[in-house]
Amino acid sequence: MEAISVENVSKNYGDVRAVDALSLDVPAGQVVALLGPNGAGKSTAVGITLGLVRPDAGRVSLFGAAPAEAAARGRVGAMLQDGALVPNLTVREVVGFVRGLYPAPMPLDEVLEIAGLTALAGRRTGALSGGQAQRVRFATAIAGAPGVLVLDEPTAALDVAARRAFWTGIRAYAGEGRTVLFATHRLEEADENADRVVVVARGRVVADGTPAEIKARVGGRAVRFALGDQPAAGLDRLPGVTGLEVRGGVATLRTGDPDGVVAELYRTGLRVRDLEIVTPALEDAFLSLTSKER
Amino acid sequence: MWGYLRLELLTVLRDRHYLFFTLAVPVGFYLLWSSVFTAERPDPMTGLALPVDIMVSMASYGALGATLMTTGVRLAAERRSGWLRQLRVTPLRARTVVAVKTLAAMSLGLPAVVLVGFASVVYQGVRLSPGQWAAIVVLLWVGTLPFAALGTLIGSLVGPDAAQPVTIGCYFALAIGGGLWLPLSVLPEAIRDVAGWLPSTRFAELGRAVAAGHAPSPAAGLVLAGWTLLLGALAVAAYRRASVAR
Repeated sequence: MEAISVENVSKNYGDVRAVDALSLDVPAGQVVALLGPNGAGKSTAVGITLGLVRPDAGRVSLFGAAPAEAAARGRVGAMLQDGALVPNLTVREVVGFVRGLYPAPMPLDEVLEIAGLTALAGRRTGALSGGQAQRVRFATAIAGAPGVLVLDEPTAALDVAARRAFWTGIRAYAGEGRTVLFATHRLEEADENADRVVVVARGRVVADGTPAEIKARVGGRAVRFALGDQPAAGLDRLPGVTGLEVRGGVATLRTGDPDGVVAELYRTGLRVRDLEIVTPALEDAFLSLTSKER
Repeated sequence: MWGYLRLELLTVLRDRHYLFFTLAVPVGFYLLWSSVFTAERPDPMTGLALPVDIMVSMASYGALGATLMTTGVRLAAERRSGWLRQLRVTPLRARTVVAVKTLAAMSLGLPAVVLVGFASVVYQGVRLSPGQWAAIVVLLWVGTLPFAALGTLIGSLVGPDAAQPVTIGCYFALAIGGGLWLPLSVLPEAIRDVAGWLPSTRFAELGRAVAAGHAPSPAAGLVLAGWTLLLGALAVAAYRRASVAR
């Protein structure tokens, strides 16, 4: 049975079609990124998946049950974009309360540990920084040890270090065979943390695969070096090169096989300086996939 | 369920505004009014000695305020903040949320009743039998039900910015019209005419009847029950509308 099954779901807000016949099946144990630009319909899709938004058409099931039913059984944890905390309570009280609602939760100290809140357990929620509050929301999402964890732009308010710590926590959680679905507009976040990337644009799935597959779909990576005033002629005919761009004395060679291209490059006799293999390709993949259907 | 009730009570009891408006104000007013109105004769309408009459007024005023202020404003804020949405993905059921919030709102009126009663005993030497005190506490607990419904209605209809003034407006109108600030016997005829239909008048009447040594009138029970049903039905409809998936 799929942990998450979204079938042909659509949702309109007035004239705006937020989600357009979107389908997504996630087997148990998978970590899936829902990747797309702002306004792509990710949050609406997440809301529908959790039963917080009623779709105009289509259906959703979590472990074979309707979302509300799955929630009632304690199988769902979520971190929503606007999920605020109750005032006047300590971190331990808030997390402990949510934990207590679930039938088979994690030990409280373990939850606080994973979320990096052990030192903040006694602090009132009103006295937390944005990043700390976000960690509390993460802790409340995992406290009940739900089988499905849904995160909507979970690292939006975090700096780089906090983001890294956050994903370490998520991976620790997902490592135990749990299913994680997270929405993000950050490409490297999807690339680094997901088993599978589902690219969404204008409410539709435009690509679905491993991060490597998504990248391969637009010609893989690139080899870049300082060409200076040497001639660029012939570079685009090197074996394995699928595209060439020369700008400001820097040559960028697109390829699916950067190692082979580098070897070929040294055989040309050119002076190769400042060589780098760049992987901004997911960014390009993302742009080309999301703009293709326009 | 109990975890949620504990959480709801803790959040409010740690709030200094709550402590001030629902405990300090009624007790302070009691001390003030009972020092100002010192006539020997009982109140002409309620027939109660003034220290007792003012005690019931201020206990009712505090309980009414605590119930109203801890429902509407908080509900509006929690709808906006996303906390209620967050709860909906947990095993906590929507009807439990409503039941606990109602129970919490009613119970948060109790400290005011107890404290004002205590102040009346200590400061004015008011003497009632233990049975009367117990009956007052219980009736002023159950009797807050229509105000919990009113608070839920306000919190479901308006946003967090408007919830506070709307709630305070209702609070003061009910308190003044119900003869809680000043006795109805000194208020203008026009107010006295509508007072009998207000839940606040009848709410205080529960306590006044017990203090006078008899059971509350059936009319008081009927008016309170009527308001509870009406406001309760509206509150349930408004809350549903405000919280369903759309």
